[in-house]
Amino acid sequence: MLTRRLVVCLDVKGGRVVKGVQFEALRDVGDPVALATHYEAEGADEVTFLDISATSEERATVFTLLERTAERLFVPLTLGGGVRSVDDVGRALRAGADKVSINSAAVADPALLTRAAERFGAQCVVASIDARRDGTGWRVFTRGGRAPTGLDAVEWAAECARRGAGEILLTSIDRDGARNGYDLELTRAVSARVSVPVVASGGAGSPEHVRSVLVDGGADAALVAGILHDGVTTVRAIKQLLADESLPVRQVAA
Amino acid sequence: MRLTIFDYGAGNLHSLAKALVMPGVELAIETNPSRAVEETDALILPGVGAFGLAAERLARGRDVMLAALQGGLPCLGICLGMQLLFDGSEEGAGTGIGLVPGRVRRLRAERVPQMGWNSLEGVRGEPLLARAGLDTVYYANGFVGEPLDSSVVTAWSTHEEDRFPAAVRIGSVVGVQFHPEKSSAPGVRFMHEFLKELL
Repeated sequence: MLTRRLVVCLDVKGGRVVKGVQFEALRDVGDPVALATHYEAEGADEVTFLDISATSEERATVFTLLERTAERLFVPLTLGGGVRSVDDVGRALRAGADKVSINSAAVADPALLTRAAERFGAQCVVASIDARRDGTGWRVFTRGGRAPTGLDAVEWAAECARRGAGEILLTSIDRDGARNGYDLELTRAVSARVSVPVVASGGAGSPEHVRSVLVDGGADAALVAGILHDGVTTVRAIKQLLADESLPVRQVAA
Repeated sequence: MRLTIFDYGAGNLHSLAKALVMPGVELAIETNPSRAVEETDALILPGVGAFGLAAERLARGRDVMLAALQGGLPCLGICLGMQLLFDGSEEGAGTGIGLVPGRVRRLRAERVPQMGWNSLEGVRGEPLLARAGLDTVYYANGFVGEPLDSSVVTAWSTHEEDRFPAAVRIGSVVGVQFHPEKSSAPGVRFMHEFLKELL
């Protein structure tokens, strides 16, 4: 049986981690490679770099970063942010990413998911969806949650899977950063609609929130960021809670 | 000791190459299938891509490679690299190396490809797994090998209801359906155990 996964996300810009990460044990808390390997040692099942670079000069640094990371990280590595074309996907994979997540570019051109999956396999194509509650449903937003698309989030997730995405990264804009728990209803609705794995994102404030989105939300994986970087909890503590609740998880020796 | 990775255009070899770094090991990457088994102490068949394309790249050196493996050249095949040890695959046209009689079939499950960490059953059947303490491994596959003779299977995994070979061994040729280079520290240890057997 596949285990439930814990995915750790690092926001990078110009090849460096942005947002303060508070680990006294690490000499360079801005180094994505050091942080990624730290989280792997703690038991993170995957690492995601979200590239929030604003300029092409900054963006170019991500490929060197992927290479440096792939040489030291021995769990799957995903790159999100700024992926606009099949060539971008290819470049990221060659540099060392195992998966690439596509967000705004997939909304603009849904066939991009198909082209990427046909060329590199569905296992490396992640459709990243930012959703905001709207009445009884959820709508898709792009450009970091600023641009409304009018798309229904659940239907769009189904279309992404149909077009070749091997996984859905589902972020609740309402919950992102609020630390009051994942949007369970949204996660449940999308998980029930698609047969590819769903990674829930946005809202983690405690290990219990992670447990809840995996059990009550039906997610295959949960993405965490801020609460780890701020030292609110640890990968190890979250994994321990999941194991105590009899969820299948991969545990690492202390 | 010289180790050769047969690069059939499978893409990212960074993690794999780094996981194979050990004192006394000299690593070469070779795109020509015949030359990949010449003047080397072990062959690595890496594992990302589609069967058809890999079989095409393999074709001109297939017989040489089969002869080398039958002659005792140690080999580690990973994911698609393990599947290439078989006769052929449902995934695409072309002929595999044919060391392991049998074919590669699609996973019989609702969620395909299988993506994520899964447990290994019967790890004791493969000393390298037991020594590495590797019991939970990372998979990213839609297809699995089905050997005619199941006694070559040294470990199993189950995805949904489908039980499939996680590892096979014929002599010093080892094939694993999972990605040891993505299975964290125990996965890297498994690869080192493979190398240590040869040093």
